[in-house]
Amino acid sequence: MKIFLRFAGLGLALVVALLFAVFVGDQGPWYFAWAVGTVMIILVAAAGGVLFDAQTEDHVSEGEF
Amino acid sequence: MDLINPAVVDLSRFQFALTALYHFMFVPLTLGLTFMLAAMETVYVVTGKQVYKDMALFWGKLFGINFALGVATGLTMEFEFGTNWSMYSRFFGDMFGTPLAIEGLMAFFMESTFVGLMFFGWDRLSKPVHLAITYLVALGSNLSALWILVANASMNMPNGAHFDPETLRMTFDSFVGVVFNPDAQAKFVHTSVAGYVAASMFVMGISAFYLLRKEHREFAARSFRMAALFGIFSTVAVITLGDVLGRLDYEHQPTKIAAIEGLWHTSKPPYEPWIIAALPNDAKQESSYEIGVPFVLTPLITHSFTTPITGMIELEDAAAPRIESGIAAVSALRRYEEGHQAADLEMFHAHQNDMGYGLLASRHAPNQDVTAIPPEQIQSVVEQTKPDILPNVFVTFWSFRLMVFLGVFFFVLFAMASYLSLKNQLERNRLFLKICMWAIPLPILATEFGWITAEAGRQPWTVFERLPTFMSASTHSVSYMLFSLAGFTVLYSIFIAVELYLMFKFARLGPEAHGQHDHGADADHLSVVAH
Repeated sequence: MKIFLRFAGLGLALVVALLFAVFVGDQGPWYFAWAVGTVMIILVAAAGGVLFDAQTEDHVSEGEF
Repeated sequence: MDLINPAVVDLSRFQFALTALYHFMFVPLTLGLTFMLAAMETVYVVTGKQVYKDMALFWGKLFGINFALGVATGLTMEFEFGTNWSMYSRFFGDMFGTPLAIEGLMAFFMESTFVGLMFFGWDRLSKPVHLAITYLVALGSNLSALWILVANASMNMPNGAHFDPETLRMTFDSFVGVVFNPDAQAKFVHTSVAGYVAASMFVMGISAFYLLRKEHREFAARSFRMAALFGIFSTVAVITLGDVLGRLDYEHQPTKIAAIEGLWHTSKPPYEPWIIAALPNDAKQESSYEIGVPFVLTPLITHSFTTPITGMIELEDAAAPRIESGIAAVSALRRYEEGHQAADLEMFHAHQNDMGYGLLASRHAPNQDVTAIPPEQIQSVVEQTKPDILPNVFVTFWSFRLMVFLGVFFFVLFAMASYLSLKNQLERNRLFLKICMWAIPLPILATEFGWITAEAGRQPWTVFERLPTFMSASTHSVSYMLFSLAGFTVLYSIFIAVELYLMFKFARLGPEAHGQHDHGADADHLSVVAH
């Protein structure tokens, strides 16, 4: 039951995301671009942080940023 | 005797500009910092590393100072529409009030509720729930900006409404038309992402300060990295949306785009230069000391190499028949108000698209009443009104250029910052770190110049081609306006002083002073690197 509910929830989220993409992408392309772009910018910044950790672990002896 | 005192209108404009510009010193940071906090907290939730929680806490504290003072300066502005711009509010209240009410009831309440949970929920909520709250704060603050800019866009491009001659007001037709107004879309994304740039520079600059002083180095280097990457992508987005807004202005507000480009006469494609610097003279309607780059203006504005851009003097000439038609519209409307004759209504409908130009002409009519213009003087009034259709070219031209120059500077700075951070070469470039530190206020200035370009460029209208600014203000006395202006100046200056004092204080103290560097296992690792 728990697995079913999880799938149902994810399926619902997918449908909502698709409807959002179709409606807003058609009616308000720049709103859609903002939503997608903001998520992308956050992910890139977050990836930069994670990459920093990886680099620090590789070059821990250098001690320079 | 004239009903409208130009001094009161000018003071009302000055007061609104002052309060808006003060308020806008706080807004960009709020828009951008919330999403940056969300990015930091996302890494914390995914990796579990304490330093990212420290980052979210420390930058969150600085966000909190800015948020509180931003709210204080924003609240008064909503009342200002009623107190100082009552004629505008009566004419356009249905259109303007709806998004403003949604902003208050939905976005601001959402933002304010969740901001409390964000600050005080760290120990009471699970990690994923707190992260969701942080995203909701970010979404709420940006939705708040969305509704304000939807309202503003309806002044620049009044979609989804029509003028009702029975009530003498603009009537709301289509919610979708208002919300999905192309100007609202482009302006919201441009403004929101400009906020991301401001927040990136803020975090990057303060991090540079720590790196220069060799304090909190890991904390600062991580923050710097995330801010640099956040900033470079945001700057590209700001420039892209700036181009979209320019294109919209070219299509819908030709006087604004001509003033922005200092284009007195219709351009000659494809040679027409993009003027880098000049001294536009509004009185003489010419510019001196022009320095330009040839072949750039036409593709920049029209996205083609052959389309001419109409100059301001030609736009003035083209406005003459509209002014005359507008005088006919306003005269018919006045007669219809008094007699309710079908012929007057029919006459009004025939000329209603030019009504705004008729209202603009009333400034030069006897007793500011276009029905009192003798037929033989109509052409004289039209000639006097023609120059009024242009905004202040010097202000529009230079505010736009300062914004653009700063935007290009940010692009270069963030690109270098990203490169040096990714290469772990920041601390070797002390001059670069100093530039980052001193650049903290520049994105705020750029957004101020952007706002001036948008608002000064829309003049002489509050509602583009519908309602002139000089007919929009309340009928206060000059002394009342001076008193309230002085009050706002003093109060808001105190707010700015408090903000700067608190920001400097907490930024100097740094993250450790708040007892946030309790890293546990991570602390040993950090100490190895620091040595």
